[in-house]
Amino acid sequence: MPTSFEAKSVSIIIPVGGRCGDARKLYRDYRAGLAALAVPVEIVFVLDGPRPTFAAQLEELLARGEQFTVIALARSFGGAAALMAGVERASGDAILTLPAYDQIEPADIPKLVAALDTADVAVAVRSPRAAGPFDRLRRATFHRLVSWLIGPQFHDLGCGARAVRRQVFEDLEVYGDQHRFLPVLAERLGFRVVEIPVRQSAQDRFPHVYRPREYMRYVLDLFSTFFLVRFTKRPLRFFGMVGATTFGVGVLALAYLCIERLIFNEPLADRPALLLATLLVVLGMQIFALGLLGELIIFTHARDLKDYRVEEIIEFQTPQQDSSNESAPAVPASRDTALPAASPHAVA
Amino acid sequence: MYNEQENVTPLYRAIVGAVTRLGHPFELILVDDGSTDMTVATAIELARRDPRLRIVKFRRNYGQTAAMAAGIEHARGEIVVTMDGDLQNDPEDIGAFVAKIEEGYDLVVGWRYNRQDKLVSRKIPSRIANWLIAKVTGVPIRDNGCSLKAFRAELIKNIPLYSEMHRFIPAMASIAGPKLAEIKVRHHARRFGKSKYGLSRIYKVLLDLTVIKTIATFASRPLQWFVLLATPLLLGAAAAFVQGAISMTRNGVLPLPLAGSGVLMLASALIFLLSGALGELIYHRGDLRDREFARLTQSERRMDGVAESAE
Repeated sequence: MPTSFEAKSVSIIIPVGGRCGDARKLYRDYRAGLAALAVPVEIVFVLDGPRPTFAAQLEELLARGEQFTVIALARSFGGAAALMAGVERASGDAILTLPAYDQIEPADIPKLVAALDTADVAVAVRSPRAAGPFDRLRRATFHRLVSWLIGPQFHDLGCGARAVRRQVFEDLEVYGDQHRFLPVLAERLGFRVVEIPVRQSAQDRFPHVYRPREYMRYVLDLFSTFFLVRFTKRPLRFFGMVGATTFGVGVLALAYLCIERLIFNEPLADRPALLLATLLVVLGMQIFALGLLGELIIFTHARDLKDYRVEEIIEFQTPQQDSSNESAPAVPASRDTALPAASPHAVA
Repeated sequence: MYNEQENVTPLYRAIVGAVTRLGHPFELILVDDGSTDMTVATAIELARRDPRLRIVKFRRNYGQTAAMAAGIEHARGEIVVTMDGDLQNDPEDIGAFVAKIEEGYDLVVGWRYNRQDKLVSRKIPSRIANWLIAKVTGVPIRDNGCSLKAFRAELIKNIPLYSEMHRFIPAMASIAGPKLAEIKVRHHARRFGKSKYGLSRIYKVLLDLTVIKTIATFASRPLQWFVLLATPLLLGAAAAFVQGAISMTRNGVLPLPLAGSGVLMLASALIFLLSGALGELIYHRGDLRDREFARLTQSERRMDGVAESAE
């Protein structure tokens, strides 16, 4: 259970990627939606590579005296890099990412922030969602694939509106295009992730046509996340499985060929099957060896890797006192420094 | 501890009772592995009255290895004793473990000689696994699964523990060449709660075992290991080429699949050698070295404090 939390200030991060709407309208809408929040709000636009039109519109807004920050990345580094650049800059203890085009009804944004009271990450789910049958099938397939490969079941990873406690970003490093899987990765780290239904923006109802290359990237990102989550600590689990299967099939085939040669006197040397069997054996060994190399990498870096995240360390210096006197743990000096410090714990 | 609410208080009493009698200063660390019941609340109540008790609380359930590693990491004493939170180990045995460490052993493991578990689902698989682990790793321990173990803190804090490695702690620790002792411990049937493990998957154990064996033997010389892998392939390639040459001189035709297999094996052997070189590179860029492990066991020992840690 995450400890209770109240956002004292909210940072809005808007990564601007390939798909972006009109900055002026977007800004006006978001400002209107955010007006309902009682806490101070800062807005950070992160331009992922040169976006001349959008940048010009932002300039126009700045000239009018609007308050926000623009971070421009010199080239496109991917959505996750843009997000992390924004997080580094943001000062709020709740971070809200919003898409750079109309996806959700801005009036529902405060709902996401409110959800952080009890959860570490709140993900918007567009519902009800307008979509044709093909789109629906595509989306269902993708999310089923995600839950099958990685575990947690989510319903709208394509939605860029997410509220995240700052603490999550201290533990979670995303890169490339992994921002899409941020809720999945956060849940794997033990954070509490909730899905919040929000209304879909009227402009988002028109189906967006993706090019095959984008699909390709989606799927590759999914697989890289899958490896990251499942096998980084035990590469041999994966490589060993594949390698042993290949090797086993090859050995069986070789054995069969040898038996035929020895017992039934079939010629061995000029059978193409021999080539295939050898190939399988050799390939299996190679894959296995790759897994062992992976294990070697893990082993030599074992000190930096930590499987677990400590939520808090509870101790009382002197008996019979109240909750105010916890101290940070004395961590043995030889181990890492990545340990989250003991958070203040409220004892009822 | 994972969902052990009924066990917290009895465990705490038993440990404190047993360890106080030893007359050493101690601390007790409870690692809460993301329990969803009253385990943590009960433990906090105990900690409120006893500053020697510390609770390391995980954000979610990470499993036994992580809990063990966290407990070890946060332990501050010179001797670290680990045990399960389910009261199947007897805290009265701790004294014997500490005495062994003080005798100069680096690592003392428990042997549940009268194990109180189901025969078919727990004891027989464990017997086979232990036999296999002992054979492969060459660490002659009869009971790798027993959590009641004692370590010299300096040693165990420097042994990498990750991903379900808890079954192989003695084997992993053997990298450093510790002096190892095994003592018989009492084992009780579970009083409260239910057991958290079933039959574990065999292939995982087998692969983990392969990893530990290779790492323990070859981590510091990967090239050697890859040469070992490449040798049979080189021999196979040589055999194929000789056979090819013979049939060439006899019938004037070179059987293509045979020659192809030979080339394939030769190429593969080459890749192995190169992988070995890559392994050397990884090892030299990594931050774990043999000499660090050697240092762990060569150092002079001096004991004046005792620590206690329970999972």
